[in-house]
Amino acid sequence: MKENPDIDTNASNERIDELLNGYIDDELTVEQQAEVERLIDQDAKTAQRLRQLQKCQILVGSMPYAEAPASVLEGVKASLAGRSLPGEEQPAYEQQVGKKYVLLRKVLAAAAMIALAAVLSAVIHRIVPLQNAPEGPIAVENRTAESIRSAARVVAASGFSGRLELKTSALNAVDAFIKSAIDDIGMSASIKSERRQGRRIYSLSCTREGLNALLADLDNIWTELDSAMLFVNTETFGTQTVVDAVTTKQIAEIANQVIPERRIELAKDFAVLNNIAENLPDKEIRAAIEAEGSSLTQQWRILKPVLTSSQKTVKKPADQVQEKQTIHLTIILDW
Amino acid sequence: MTEAANPDIRSRQVSNMHVSINDAVLIEQYRNGDSAAMERLVLKYQNRIYNVILKICADPDDAAELTQETFVKIIENLDKFEGRSGFYTWTFRIAVNLTLNYCQRNSKLAFRSLDAEHEQQDDSQVKQVLKDFLSDDSSPDPAAEVQNKELYKIVARTLMGLDEAHRAVIVLRDIEGMSYARIAEVLDIELGTVRSRLSRARSKMRDILEAILR
Repeated sequence: MKENPDIDTNASNERIDELLNGYIDDELTVEQQAEVERLIDQDAKTAQRLRQLQKCQILVGSMPYAEAPASVLEGVKASLAGRSLPGEEQPAYEQQVGKKYVLLRKVLAAAAMIALAAVLSAVIHRIVPLQNAPEGPIAVENRTAESIRSAARVVAASGFSGRLELKTSALNAVDAFIKSAIDDIGMSASIKSERRQGRRIYSLSCTREGLNALLADLDNIWTELDSAMLFVNTETFGTQTVVDAVTTKQIAEIANQVIPERRIELAKDFAVLNNIAENLPDKEIRAAIEAEGSSLTQQWRILKPVLTSSQKTVKKPADQVQEKQTIHLTIILDW
Repeated sequence: MTEAANPDIRSRQVSNMHVSINDAVLIEQYRNGDSAAMERLVLKYQNRIYNVILKICADPDDAAELTQETFVKIIENLDKFEGRSGFYTWTFRIAVNLTLNYCQRNSKLAFRSLDAEHEQQDDSQVKQVLKDFLSDDSSPDPAAEVQNKELYKIVARTLMGLDEAHRAVIVLRDIEGMSYARIAEVLDIELGTVRSRLSRARSKMRDILEAILR
């Protein structure tokens, strides 16, 4: 039987095209790359074909990057509204992950709590600014119940305010990344940037969603930082809670707290956790603490020497709390 | 051009490597009842998912709706996610499947829309720029050329001239910057099929472009 030369030629061209595309995409073995380079050296038509395919790839790859409209997140939330969170279905969850895993989590959490209790007294003074706080219980008897509720309403509506100090030896690279991240998420208009005494200062005024998007990007360069310290402004003017070795996840969790008291509590919890994690001899327990993250801090509260039972937080129903909090965060990037 | 020469693709791929650990943490947090973790996952991926869907379906409204549908499906099925393929791959698999199904359902509409666009007169100057770029071996800055909106429209129209399967493979490779192996996972096809499909898609794109410019 005679072979059809057209079919042979087509098959050969297709194979060459596949090789050329693999070459463009860096998806060939060393031998295949050598074969392609030999082909384009010897055959002008193949070399021209390679350039044609490269240009197609360049054209498509250069198309403008489209950003999702803000309505997507709201739409997702609306679609899921009324459905229970996975964590609320505890029995099903336990069945799914297995009792061994649950037991392991409990053991690790218990170990972490024992470690926390052991060093708690040594670190508690670092997170509560005693010089600014009155000794002993705060007297609230003079306040009327209504004034407390009214103060709580004002407090509940206020947004996050604080300062993030980042130190890195790769200042320029990190600075460029942050600028790019700000541009990528379309927040250039809501962020002021200035260079002062060799330091880069970013002043953000944005929504929680905006901050979350920025933090998600910043997470990629977090390992490049030598230190990251968050200063969370409290309701007392000039007083701040400091979280050393803070992570992007922790910043997001703190900033996302609607109730200011809860925000400060969480910041203090993270401050203690991070301090302990830095000093823990056993890395497994440290990893376990980090893995437990917020769930651990939600179950466990640090004793606060300045608070008394008469200062119960007046919590506002979630639906009455302002939905889009304003975030005021100053990021200082330094050597 | 190789991946290494394309900074956009490279940075996205570096980013992919970094996100996997964080994704696992966020998924775990959400499984433990933290709804803010879900928000972060959506914010993290929504632009990339939307961009890919838009390039495949070419309609901004439909792309937004499909992006939303993708995340709802992801969140509804998060408990079934076993982590075998990685959250990034799994997310794009859902997004691309939804988009391809949508395209197939609406193929007649899409063709009508495409035909209508064909009737429009293209800017002859833009065509000339594109012709020069395709014919000139030493075009100085092709990326700058494509900044031209009219030029981009022609490229988008060319992309829409491909069938969905070819369009998807080109978008995942040239826009999202996925490796062949990752594309194979997302589209659930063999690696060899990715090679041949991508090769045919680029070849066909070239033919369509030449036809438009003729």
